[in-house]
Amino acid sequence: MLNDRYSRHGLINWFSQDRVQNARFVVAGAGAIGNEVIKNLALLGTGHIAIHDFDRIERHNLTRSVLFREDDVGQHKAEVAARRACELDPAVRATAVPGDFWKTLSFEALGRADCVIGCVDNFEARIRLNRLCRLAGTNLIDVAIDTRRASVEVFPFATVADCACYECTLPAGVYTRIAERYSCAGLRRRGLVERLIPTTILTSSAAGALAVSSAMRVLHAPQEMQSAHRILTDTMGATTTMAPLARSEMCPGCADLMPEVRVVPTDPVIGRASLREASCGQDVCLRLSDAVISGGNCTACGHELNAGGPPRLLLARDQDDSLARCPKCGGDMTFVAGDQFTAGELEERFLGQRLPARFAVVDHDETSLVLDFAACQFPAARSSEG
Amino acid sequence: MKDVQFRIRTPDQTREAEITADRGSTGRELIALAAAKWQMPTDTEYRLQNTSRHAYIQPEQKLSEDVVGPQDVLQVEPVLVAGGSA
Repeated sequence: MLNDRYSRHGLINWFSQDRVQNARFVVAGAGAIGNEVIKNLALLGTGHIAIHDFDRIERHNLTRSVLFREDDVGQHKAEVAARRACELDPAVRATAVPGDFWKTLSFEALGRADCVIGCVDNFEARIRLNRLCRLAGTNLIDVAIDTRRASVEVFPFATVADCACYECTLPAGVYTRIAERYSCAGLRRRGLVERLIPTTILTSSAAGALAVSSAMRVLHAPQEMQSAHRILTDTMGATTTMAPLARSEMCPGCADLMPEVRVVPTDPVIGRASLREASCGQDVCLRLSDAVISGGNCTACGHELNAGGPPRLLLARDQDDSLARCPKCGGDMTFVAGDQFTAGELEERFLGQRLPARFAVVDHDETSLVLDFAACQFPAARSSEG
Repeated sequence: MKDVQFRIRTPDQTREAEITADRGSTGRELIALAAAKWQMPTDTEYRLQNTSRHAYIQPEQKLSEDVVGPQDVLQVEPVLVAGGSA
């Protein structure tokens, strides 16, 4: 039943307050765009909003963040944004999930969500969020801005079987830029200065309005979503274009997926029955979500990575390039890194170790099985609301 | 190979030009041509949309693959990445 608060919404012929109140949204990123998206969702009376962000509020955020105040500086963006969303409408259940969404956003939560709105601020995070949503079959709206433009890309993964994904039309140069942040073995380069893209509330508010409008369309008229599409608005020039995004057969994000995708919670310890059974055989290739370092040695003295201990698998992006310096002689270390292994190969060399990846994909018959390690690797992923 | 004539512009439409290009040209080459001609930022990636057909032209696609017709309007669009945290 409509109460006074939503009485004006009730006069809109395409708008269902019940549908909105029963909806579950995930917002990744609570920066300038995230603030606008959360504010809009809260004022519309959205039932549940899960807000993921690892960052804390800095003073320069205040010119673009309607939910933050001077006194909030230093606090987690996700927590403050969730609190303010609940203040805007006490019926809204906004949950803060401080942390990296890669570790906190579970497939289970994604499966319950009607839509994920990506408000992150770098290509790598956008690609990761796209992969999670594509595998979970959850609708994704990716939102981005610059100094005068706003871009909203809608990926109706839940309803369009052969939907293009975010990576299908991503220029190759983007991967080159991402690669510049890492060494050949995937170690994070220290001291790399990230390019700052200055923005204002003008583009973020336009982006937030377009994104939540698209989200309402996804919610109310999913049958109208025939394909992925992109809306590009120039706020200064007052021009907007919209075009469908076509699927690419060469897409690094989705081209190798089978028609059916199924998520299987799996214990990542190598050799245990859970991983062995889910892998569907010793010779089947596991495509890991993250590159791992499986060995290495010093080019000068031959010192081996993990000398004196059993061989270890290391998550490459958790390491920085200090690992490339030999601890024994100071020479250069070289590494063996990869993201594809057979189950047999892993058992032979790394029996009993934990696979340090978020998930692995194996193909079996006409199905891509997503071996979800998150519940075991990152307990926050299991407990987070979505 | 026959040439094709079309217009190319930026999303704000402050820059627009009529182009006659060889049908063997690729989307990537057209983006590079526009970026150089209009001195567009080099630290940004771009996509090419045929606004007359509401479709994107892939970087490796050639104009001969029936992705552009006479008098079509192509738009060189930046791939935006900021979320407003910086």
